[in-house]
Amino acid sequence: MPRWGMVIDLDKCVGCQACSTACKAENNVPHGSPDDQRLRRDIYWNKVIAVTNGKYPRVNTELIPMPCMHCDHAPCVTVCPAKATYRREDGIIVQDFRRCIGCKYCIVACPYGARSFNSKEQEEKEYHRPDLPPDRNVWGQWPFPTRTHGVVEKCTFCFHRIDQGIKEGKKIGTEVVPACVEDCPAEARKFGDLDDTHSEVSRLLSSRGWIRLREELDTKCKVYYLPR
Amino acid sequence: MGSVYSKIDGKSREFYILLILFSIFTLIGFICFMVSYISGHHVLGSSNIIPWGMPIIITIYLIGLSAGSLILSALTYVFGKEEYRPIARLAVFLAIILIFGAMIGIALDLGRPEKSWRLFMFFVLNNMRSMFALNGILYGGYFLIGMIYLGAIFADKYKFIKTMGKIAIFWAALVHMGTGAIFGFIATRPIFFSPIKPFEFLSAAMVSGLALLIIVVVAIFKFTKRNLNKDIIFSLSRLLRILIIVLAVMVLVDKLTHLYSPHREPTLWLFTGPYSWIFWLLQVGFAYIFPLLILFHPRYGKTLKGVMVAAFLVVIGIFGERFSLVIPGTAYPLPFYPGKIEGIWGMAGSFPITPVESFMSLGIFTLMGLLFLVGLKNLELLPVDEIGEQTSEIAKKI
Repeated sequence: MPRWGMVIDLDKCVGCQACSTACKAENNVPHGSPDDQRLRRDIYWNKVIAVTNGKYPRVNTELIPMPCMHCDHAPCVTVCPAKATYRREDGIIVQDFRRCIGCKYCIVACPYGARSFNSKEQEEKEYHRPDLPPDRNVWGQWPFPTRTHGVVEKCTFCFHRIDQGIKEGKKIGTEVVPACVEDCPAEARKFGDLDDTHSEVSRLLSSRGWIRLREELDTKCKVYYLPR
Repeated sequence: MGSVYSKIDGKSREFYILLILFSIFTLIGFICFMVSYISGHHVLGSSNIIPWGMPIIITIYLIGLSAGSLILSALTYVFGKEEYRPIARLAVFLAIILIFGAMIGIALDLGRPEKSWRLFMFFVLNNMRSMFALNGILYGGYFLIGMIYLGAIFADKYKFIKTMGKIAIFWAALVHMGTGAIFGFIATRPIFFSPIKPFEFLSAAMVSGLALLIIVVVAIFKFTKRNLNKDIIFSLSRLLRILIIVLAVMVLVDKLTHLYSPHREPTLWLFTGPYSWIFWLLQVGFAYIFPLLILFHPRYGKTLKGVMVAAFLVVIGIFGERFSLVIPGTAYPLPFYPGKIEGIWGMAGSFPITPVESFMSLGIFTLMGLLFLVGLKNLELLPVDEIGEQTSEIAKKI
């Protein structure tokens, strides 16, 4: 069984937010109004944070794209009372909207702020947009088609793409990748099997030094960063 | 064992005014809940950075009051302190109502309250590693045990009462420590994360439960014109003094530990940031310092008024303690990466007080008040005063 992971090269990332936009388009994540943003109620499955260190003129800004880290020891899986969030065998942490009771304990427990609460009914047209990717029909239904307010959402590593790709016998990591990886103009993101020694991600991790975020919490997350 | 209990007659004007007021506010609360349920939680103050709002604060507050109240009832039924017998029934009844209110509070906070049955599918659909699921067992069991306990008290089965009382205090302690564990086991949130949290919650429960019991007892005895044996209140207030000191020491230890790295920044933010007034004034001032000053005062500590004021301060102060745990505990931004995080991801969250949430919260309290009034009218909870002029016949007419 593969163990899917992502490697993000911070040297290549330009902070264009193409990944955030691609994620919103692919997974039909609500846009969120300026009011939502001010009140911190907009839903982000992928975010890019800017971190500055030092003072002018010696200042350094790092851009850190942050999807869900899909931790092997995920705090959200531990705390979920309803088994709504669970670890699939291939290491992806998914959120089942049908089971989620909306207690928000996982948002409290997540060290990466990867989870968002869908706090309002979105405009109907937002969910049935004509500009959705045309090959959605080819991929089939998204596993949780009815989106509803009152549940917690998060990044899924685009597991609908991965599952479909495996069914069609495509190579995951080269032919089929999550939307954020596909759309990254700088090719800063790589996706693949961490256990496969021949995969691109394994090659990158063995050739360069890498970091993971918040290692002190021992989450063993599967999103690796190659520092600048 | 000779105490006689009676109902209140519930025909006075004040009783009906209270009943109607409580009903109106409960109805408003229910409407507000429906608004938040149908249109989503964006009408509440909670957000992605502060996911838990007023209902959760109220829930842990009520669980505290309930557990404390039940433990105190056991003073009579388990430890045989006869002087507390007149108020013991009331304490058990109050505990049941408060845990009911707490469970309502949890349901109001859920994004999908219609799925709350999933919380009680133990070992089948539940992840039993979750503190929340474990607490489902504790709360449900607590409610049942409380009901059986009260039933046994009404049936006057003395041996059974004693056994149930022992189970009930054990379970009540467990319930509150479990609630503390919901917060204390979250390593991500520095203000929550502490092994002492369960014990801190337990002592906060005892303090607030006792203070509420003092208020309720004095108020009801005044309202129904019964003669109150003041020694009961003063011995309770001496107990309150000790419990407040225990709680204050626990909180002190907890916060001192948190002043060390890596929890230092959020804790300092709690002490000096926008929520510091809740911590310093409500929690430290109202819950610890002012009541202790009053209760230890040679003159005010010996008057009923002084004890009442102290109990009021404690009840408000413990609410402040819950608030200053839940809201600032999650509001401080998470340190995703070393350095200063720019933009909204590095900003502390704010918790707006919205009308829907406020009325919903008020509705929880008025619903409990309603149940309490109905209980007083239909159950024999209040002692008939044997020392005063009241006979049981007169007491029944009031």
